[in-house]
Amino acid sequence: MVAVSTVTPLEQDVLLNMNKIEIGHGSGGKLTRDLIENIFLKYLKSDELKPLEDAASINLDHNHKAAVTTDSYVIRPLFFPGGNIGKLSVCGTVNDLVVSGAVPKYLTVGFIIEEGFLMKDLEEIVRSISETAESAGVKIVTGDTKVVEKNKGDGIYINTTGIGEIVKPMDLKNVSAGDKVIITGTIGDHGTAVAIAREEFNIDAAVESDCAALNGMLEPLFDIAGVKWMRDPTRGGVATVLVELSEATGLGVLISEEDMPVREDVRFIQDMLGYDPLYLANEGKAIIITSAESSDRVLEMLKGHPLGKDAALIGNITADFKGLRLKTIIGGERVLDMLEEDTLPRIC
Amino acid sequence: MNRSKDIIRHIKSLVPKDKQVRIMNVCGSHEHTIAFSGMRSLMPENLEIIPGPGCPVCVCPESDIINAIELSKRDDVILVTYGDMLRVPSVKGSIRADGKNYKMISSPFEAIEIAKDNPDKRIVFFSIGFETTTAPTAAIIEMGVPENLSILSSHRLTPTIMEILVKDTELGIDGFIAPGHVSAIVGANAWNVFSEKYRIPTVVAGFEAENLLLGIAEILKQLKEGKPATGNVYAGVVKAEGNVQAQKIMDKFFEVADVNWRGIGNIPGSGLELRVEYSKKDTKKVFGLAEVKESKIPGCICGNIILGKAYPNACKLFKKVCTPRTPKGPCMVSMEGSCNIWFKAG
Repeated sequence: MVAVSTVTPLEQDVLLNMNKIEIGHGSGGKLTRDLIENIFLKYLKSDELKPLEDAASINLDHNHKAAVTTDSYVIRPLFFPGGNIGKLSVCGTVNDLVVSGAVPKYLTVGFIIEEGFLMKDLEEIVRSISETAESAGVKIVTGDTKVVEKNKGDGIYINTTGIGEIVKPMDLKNVSAGDKVIITGTIGDHGTAVAIAREEFNIDAAVESDCAALNGMLEPLFDIAGVKWMRDPTRGGVATVLVELSEATGLGVLISEEDMPVREDVRFIQDMLGYDPLYLANEGKAIIITSAESSDRVLEMLKGHPLGKDAALIGNITADFKGLRLKTIIGGERVLDMLEEDTLPRIC
Repeated sequence: MNRSKDIIRHIKSLVPKDKQVRIMNVCGSHEHTIAFSGMRSLMPENLEIIPGPGCPVCVCPESDIINAIELSKRDDVILVTYGDMLRVPSVKGSIRADGKNYKMISSPFEAIEIAKDNPDKRIVFFSIGFETTTAPTAAIIEMGVPENLSILSSHRLTPTIMEILVKDTELGIDGFIAPGHVSAIVGANAWNVFSEKYRIPTVVAGFEAENLLLGIAEILKQLKEGKPATGNVYAGVVKAEGNVQAQKIMDKFFEVADVNWRGIGNIPGSGLELRVEYSKKDTKKVFGLAEVKESKIPGCICGNIILGKAYPNACKLFKKVCTPRTPKGPCMVSMEGSCNIWFKAG
């Protein structure tokens, strides 16, 4: 093999000089993390923020902790098979609370609306917010509305903040070698549904987003002592969450391609588009890390819930290596890293 | 799963103990499957699977890209081409970043629609790729294209480049996995030259990991028995004679030419240009385009990667400054480029 290649330090500096916000800074992947580390954490330093979990844990008094989370929704298109930006803005925030071991209680909702936005679309979105919140058992307790001039927004953006009561503190420190990795259902449905809804690809398929509030399914798991940690794999998908888990714990994660639940049509479409379902967004799934002893019980409880019927044990935590590895269908192994490129911007 | 395991066991039993075996794939989709299935991690140490020239946008000469960018800047032109081509870097930038009037298409038929919708513009279809994309381009010419559409042909021939590689003793290729899609057009018989003249087993394979493993096993079996032949483990799709109709129309409109390959240079008889009878459809002639001298991308070794002389991770730019988001060389752009595949498959 012949390989001749040189790059001077100056060339490297010029090539790396990225001093503007790019769309990928919102991907939830490597660029987002760079932004958080280089800008946000440089100035924002509270102890509550530091763990960078989906929700912060704050002390109310000696006996009570609350989980607080906030999320902004900029999805395009606003209406997609299986949901709309309103439903998503409730589910996403409820899920961030419940995977933090909290019972979601209250939500705030803020709207940034573009001049000219159709009132009937706004009403449809707000009706979804109301219905989703009601079925998830959370109350919308305050809100805000701002309108920006035409062409200065993209229809509507929504922010929701959620507050819940922590009943099962989740801590990555509890994760250890031998633990099992469980996914609550098929992966990549949301990313695929939104990609198709954008009509950039000429694909006609009936894939719906999995957008759903997970508190009804996940709260009963709080009683199982072996349940150690949960996360909803939204932007960046299952792979990104598990790479982060590996980095935070110093442990390795080995997942199995064969055991990964992927809908047949999703797999087909993603093969065609060149995306990997492991990196695609989900809006109604959770990854659960549980002790080996509790894994059967967790799976059984999940499968007893309509949202968990496709739940599967997909991998193990190991001390044999660091990082995330995939055991492929043919038995090969490859390393999965964080995505640098944003597969689908504005997915949530 | 078990069947793959069986084939892998079979492969291990067929590999000679005492020598290195080097099998080359010449199709980006094959390399994709190989990398994403972790196939190399399952092969015996002395069996190398080398990615070869399987990426059409990677080998497209810089001159054609620069000409395309310049054409797109003309007010009377709309340049249309495949998505990956828009992002391939050149010394003058990429079509997407530095071009002006351009549209992405996924099929040549869309070029016709765009030409019909824009009768006051001159549509330039930057048509690139191996036999798989040449055939549909020939098909639209056969059907009749609008007056205002011309073709910037940057088509390349797979068998010719493979013959260059097989003669390279430094590479020492022991077997070829022949490309499934290209074979569907040219036919499995197109590869007979390799076993007959060079005694190199050449096996047509499909795109599932298991089918590729079968192909590799077949090559190893032929090597072991000393009976090189053209094999076909993708016979459901690929016929011995190929798609004769497609071959006929390709031959009707295109003629073999000496052309440049990016990072490699001029290779006699390795490309296709429109025949002189169809000069009116030939963008190069219609616009009087001149060949632009290729500039070197500092540090980039795409040329060697395409020729199977280096793996992507041998490049100092790889994963450091050259990423799918910021591609420096053509092999990092396309889903069929070895660097892009290796970047994503880890």
